[in-house]
Amino acid sequence: MSLKNNHRRNGQIPQPCPHLADFRSRNGQKPFRALQECLRVKPLGRAAIRRDPDEVPRCSTCGHYAPSRLYACVACAAVYCHSLPESSHAAFHAESMPTGHEIAVDVDRAELFCCVCRDQVYDRDFDAAVVLAHTAASTLGSRLTLLPPMLPESQKKRRRVDYRPWTPDPKERFLMERDSSPLKRGDEDSSCLPWGLRGLNNLGNTCFMNSVLQALLHTPPLRNYFLSDRHNRFLCQQNSKMGNVNKKNAASHDSNNNKKKNLRLCLACDMDAMFSAFFSGDRKPYSPAKFLYSWWQHAENLASYEQQDAHEFFISMLDGIHEKVEKNQCKPQSQGSGDCCIAHKVFSGILRSDVTCTSCGFTSTTYDPCVDISLDLEPNRGGSAKMASLKSHHGCNGETESCGISTLIGCLDRFTRPERLGSDQKFFCQQCQVRQESLKQMSIRKLPLVSCFHIKRFEHSTTKKMSRKVDRYLQFPFSLDMAPYRSSSILRSRFGNRIFAFEDDDDEPDSSNESSSEFELFAVVTHTGRLDAGHYVTYLRLSNLWYKCDDSWISQVSESIVRAAQGYMVFYVQKILYYKASEKLVSS
Amino acid sequence: MSAPNDDNASAHSQLSSHFFAGLLDSIIVDVASECHRIARLGLDRNLEEEEEELRLSTQARVMVADPSNSGEANSKYVVDIFGQTHPAIANEIFDCMNCGRAIMAGRFAPHLEKCMGKGRKARLKTTRSSTAAQNRYSRSSSVSAYSPYSNSHSVNQAVNGTPGVTGEDYTECTFEET
Repeated sequence: MSLKNNHRRNGQIPQPCPHLADFRSRNGQKPFRALQECLRVKPLGRAAIRRDPDEVPRCSTCGHYAPSRLYACVACAAVYCHSLPESSHAAFHAESMPTGHEIAVDVDRAELFCCVCRDQVYDRDFDAAVVLAHTAASTLGSRLTLLPPMLPESQKKRRRVDYRPWTPDPKERFLMERDSSPLKRGDEDSSCLPWGLRGLNNLGNTCFMNSVLQALLHTPPLRNYFLSDRHNRFLCQQNSKMGNVNKKNAASHDSNNNKKKNLRLCLACDMDAMFSAFFSGDRKPYSPAKFLYSWWQHAENLASYEQQDAHEFFISMLDGIHEKVEKNQCKPQSQGSGDCCIAHKVFSGILRSDVTCTSCGFTSTTYDPCVDISLDLEPNRGGSAKMASLKSHHGCNGETESCGISTLIGCLDRFTRPERLGSDQKFFCQQCQVRQESLKQMSIRKLPLVSCFHIKRFEHSTTKKMSRKVDRYLQFPFSLDMAPYRSSSILRSRFGNRIFAFEDDDDEPDSSNESSSEFELFAVVTHTGRLDAGHYVTYLRLSNLWYKCDDSWISQVSESIVRAAQGYMVFYVQKILYYKASEKLVSS
Repeated sequence: MSAPNDDNASAHSQLSSHFFAGLLDSIIVDVASECHRIARLGLDRNLEEEEEELRLSTQARVMVADPSNSGEANSKYVVDIFGQTHPAIANEIFDCMNCGRAIMAGRFAPHLEKCMGKGRKARLKTTRSSTAAQNRYSRSSSVSAYSPYSNSHSVNQAVNGTPGVTGEDYTECTFEET
């Protein structure tokens, strides 16, 4: 049996066998929906087929009920065994009866079976019935909570539109040529080197800042935003000046410096200046002094001459861009939609957290926006549970080393696996009305345009009053498929991988979302050395060549160096970007 | 299972192995059924790609660990990709946007820290130099302004050579590669 021929990506239903197709055309979906009454589901358990809850099914022919492989004919509800293929009573039933009795259902696993093809078959309506039975068993009354509760300020689903290439018309072209001057390439050597590649001077223990800045300067959507003049620092400062004039009398404790120079603190303006400088063609290392000054004004608690955490800086910086931009906007933005500022548009995603009562199966769901995902570093114990059985085929048993390597995929598997909360963290179940032990599972409701994975290498233990760094190697792929970690996939696997529209995805629900789950690595921030005395370096991927950015020093390195490096923050960008219809009306 | 001498025991062990076989079969069919569904619906992960990435990473680590390979990873820099060299401490000079003085890039952060009055040392310095003067006018205000930082804890740290330690950090940061 060739899997490739029948292979459909991502939950698409395969073609039914002729017998199932026949059955469907003759009976429609009625029999499957009727089975719903016989579907018995224990909380957190599997669906089974029983006429009465206490029924013990037996084969009508031989009376056996174990070893179980009992199938109930969907047409006549008679139960037969299929333990021995040579003498399958289920197959005999299908053959001996007039047509219409070929399809049966596995009573213990609620899977459809074609007794003639002797193979498991799949049907959308049957799966829907199973999923509904699951949820009915674990929800208050008859309220179905399959669809997620409306997110606060429900995200309007904007239509996906085709990309329309733009070229300037003659008038625009004239304006462009009149008001700008083309950048000149430097000398011969630099001409084949990518634009935007430039070193950053270390201003004194600022490699933590330089490393993150390098990654951001080459984050495609962010770079495009600033290079498209979407935040013009001159206009921004001008607008703020006008604003300041009006507020001058009111603002009594504006800092001396701002009053003096009439400069409004805006990290986005400083970013704009940096982008201009970086892509100007000048290859001399740039000193991000103004940026440091602005950032220290924004993040007062982090303003000191000492080594700091690059990740902390990253979060602080995004927050700085967000804060200053949002002040200008009148309407409040829904969290996680990314409509508030470019920082969130690029980096913010939405995490979904499900807490399930182990007693009754009731699930409570919450959504939280996030700008990155922090992952714990632990060794893979023989790979994830899903991969364990398959890994053994490839002789992993002998290769203990490969089984012990930490991988980013392993960390993501761990991040999204169901976790049993301790007995000291009992959750109040609305259905049971008491505190119960529960399972918690994370998943990604909305994938950001750019995923930043932060590897938790710095452990601060308050109990031991010490901090330590985890040097363990982490393997990270150059191409990453995030589909298994989406909420739709996680939910689907929780319900036995049934065919069902589980999540109201942000993207078009019917199209295969595989393209929007595929990510490509473009930057790696690494840390070497000790916790208190170490060094950050960034590796950038430009046109599939890797460059090492070590403060002022830029050099080209082989792919192997990057693969072997100690990743601390790993940046991935969506492989394919889609355009959504704009809300704003554009004047022609 | 070899038949023991006792008939009773033989029947028991036959029964137990019968049940065990049934349970085992059941588990096998469970797994087969689940995997069948995953495979048919195209939900299985691209294992070939994942394993290829693992293989490449193992290969890379071997190559990098090999001392005979050009020390790309930790080599001392001679020229960068543009043919430039850079000193250990960045020597570009520009004006501080806070006080207007001309500062060398590599020493900008420590300067700015004092200039803006941020950080521990700046606050300590201010305390030391101006506390006496401030005390003359209003003791309480100086305490309220600097109390979080002028306690004995931070004073001791300064005495123990915080600047020295910081200097080391700075050195580590820029000279790490050598």
